[in-house]
Amino acid sequence: MNALRRASWRLAVILAAAAASLAQAQRPEATEASVEAAFLYKFAGYVEWSPLAFPSDDSAFVISVMGSEEVAAELAKILPGRSVAGHPVVLRRLRDGESLRGTHLLFVGRMEPARLQAILRAAQQQGALAVTETDRGLELGAAINFVLAADRVGFEVSLEAAEKSGHRISSRMLTVARRVIPKA
Amino acid sequence: MLEPIRHSLRRKVILLVLSATVAALTLSALGLVVYDLRAYEQQWTSDLVTQAEILARASAPALAFDDRSTAATDLTLMKVRPQVHAAAIYTRGGDLFATYTRPGAEEIAFPQRPAADGYTIEGDELRLFRRVIEGGETIGTVYLRAAYVPWERLVDYLTILGVVMLASLALAALLSGWLQAAITVPILEVAHTAREVIDQRDYSLRARKTTDDEIGQLVDSFNAMLAEAGRRAEALREADRRKDEFLATLAHELRNPLAPLRNALEILRLSPSDPARAEKARAMMERQVNQMVRLVDDLLDVSRITTGKLAIRKSTTELQATLRDALETVRPFVAAAGHELALDIAAEPICVEGDSTRLAQVFSNLVNNAAKYTEPGGRIEVSLAKEGAEAVVRVRDNGIGLEPKSLASIFDMFVQVDRTLERTQAGLGVGLTLARRLVALHGGSLSVRSEGAGKGSEFEVRLPLAGAILPDSEKVRRADTGEEPRRILIADDNADFANSLGALLSGRGHEVRVVYDGAEALATAARFNPDFAFLDIGMPRVHGYEVARRLREAPGTAACVLVAVTGWGQEDDRQRAREAGFDRHLVKPAAPEDIETILKSY
Repeated sequence: MNALRRASWRLAVILAAAAASLAQAQRPEATEASVEAAFLYKFAGYVEWSPLAFPSDDSAFVISVMGSEEVAAELAKILPGRSVAGHPVVLRRLRDGESLRGTHLLFVGRMEPARLQAILRAAQQQGALAVTETDRGLELGAAINFVLAADRVGFEVSLEAAEKSGHRISSRMLTVARRVIPKA
Repeated sequence: MLEPIRHSLRRKVILLVLSATVAALTLSALGLVVYDLRAYEQQWTSDLVTQAEILARASAPALAFDDRSTAATDLTLMKVRPQVHAAAIYTRGGDLFATYTRPGAEEIAFPQRPAADGYTIEGDELRLFRRVIEGGETIGTVYLRAAYVPWERLVDYLTILGVVMLASLALAALLSGWLQAAITVPILEVAHTAREVIDQRDYSLRARKTTDDEIGQLVDSFNAMLAEAGRRAEALREADRRKDEFLATLAHELRNPLAPLRNALEILRLSPSDPARAEKARAMMERQVNQMVRLVDDLLDVSRITTGKLAIRKSTTELQATLRDALETVRPFVAAAGHELALDIAAEPICVEGDSTRLAQVFSNLVNNAAKYTEPGGRIEVSLAKEGAEAVVRVRDNGIGLEPKSLASIFDMFVQVDRTLERTQAGLGVGLTLARRLVALHGGSLSVRSEGAGKGSEFEVRLPLAGAILPDSEKVRRADTGEEPRRILIADDNADFANSLGALLSGRGHEVRVVYDGAEALATAARFNPDFAFLDIGMPRVHGYEVARRLREAPGTAACVLVAVTGWGQEDDRQRAREAGFDRHLVKPAAPEDIETILKSY
């Protein structure tokens, strides 16, 4: 009897805790990848893209993903029909070594730093704004880097890197950034 | 409250200014308050919409990147707007994303779900929803709750209105004070002048004119009215004075014949069996009675003139005959004065439509006047001629003439040219007034010309073509009777009176000398040394007062009993007589027993 009561009490506590943790989550179904995909698209809205990046008024806005099939998959779900600054958005999945030409926004998944650094350098040269999800992403050359803190996805910004790629990130976005590396 | 205002222009002015001020201020304040309350709602909501817009824009990244802490930080910016009680941000899905409550405010229950864009006013709060749109997409909703307290503004307004009203009323009171001074002071001054005029009977006072406005006109009109009232008062005084003189003259003239009448009666009583004396006395009585009849006739004419009942009976009249009749009645008087009468009468008959008797009255009056106002031995010219459609009668003399200033007034009632004590010929001063009125009734005119005093005068009667009765004064010879051994001098230009008194006294045995003027009296007294002298005051050449003074100075007559015999019996006349040295004063007609009493008392 006592044991049963104690067990049922314990169950109630566990159920309440579960409910509380569910309520606190960003969304019940939200995964890290899906949040990052949504953020990636939103980043595009807070960047002042260089006019040089668009050969013509109807050329596409290209988001390229490298090294993260989950994020690419999430993007593929949300991008159709959307546009950035009047340009239709196109998703590209890139493998290592493939050209970054035409890419406006590049997401690179986790990989070894040396390789990552090379890709980021190439991205800067190609005028692509690079986003990473690595610990020292900004130091390696990314303009934006996702960070996970207290189970929530946040980001940090390097205005220096963004400038090198030829684009300007809106100051409004900086209010939400966890860390900002100013221009050189 | 209305009672004191009704009696004071000053209060009316103040009330007018103050009520105008209050009305204007209240109306404008009402208009402003209504306008402002409407404007306040619009302004405050649009202000809050802008606020929400700014908040939406600022919090858009936080919503986009699901950053609650940044959103909450954004909301704390509302601290700078203390009117904002609370604010909240909802996610696109409608969940509460971040909230803000003004520090110190009580707990607020935020709506579970956001409503559509717009605002509602609930109690003293304005509640507003505003969507957050980013890149064309709605990504959330901003919610604001702010104080909405028009009453506070209303109270502020009323406070300001009160202060402005008080200040305005003070200013209005000052202004109305000045205004009332500008209006009531001149009016009060007019009223004050009016009171002074009434109190002092001084019509030369004038109200002071200080402005050229309606009040200035009032002052002008008031002063003009005063001038007119002054002229009338003066005219009334003058008319009154003339009437008084007339009455005095009338009394004098009516009394004058009475003394000789009484004397004649006494003579008849004393000498009933002396036919010669009786006849003399009877003739004297007849003359004096005729004189009185003429005076009474004049009086009746005066009353006819003043009542407008003077009328004439017209018939075709030949002026030659009328003029002859008139001259007939005055010839004895003219002859007595020793005047030469020159006639220049047209030969052809000149006829007018008129009342022969009345015209004769006019002509004889003119000739009589000429004789009266000319020193004895003068020349009087009378002419009758036809000039155009008019008959012209002129009477010219070389007598005392007229000052230019008397030319106009000579035709006024009761005016006599010669008002001196030496006036020898009696009259009521109505002759010329009557003459002019009569000529006017005949459609003609009577005018006078004179070169000035001492240069004679000419009267001219003009009558359209189609003709009296005045004194014949004849000197009467002296008559004397004797009784007691008293030496008595009688001096009076009224020969009848002098003679009759002389006759009476000499009849009683006194030694009497009768003279007819002042100079003669002095000459006779010097030789005669009388015990008594009965002196008339209004004598020719030297008047009674002067005679008395000189008799008192002369050694032979210093102790003589001087008796003034005059028609003037007023106290100041008696006073003047005493000052001149008279012992006694008798008023004509002096009763014989009074004279007897005086003779016995010395």
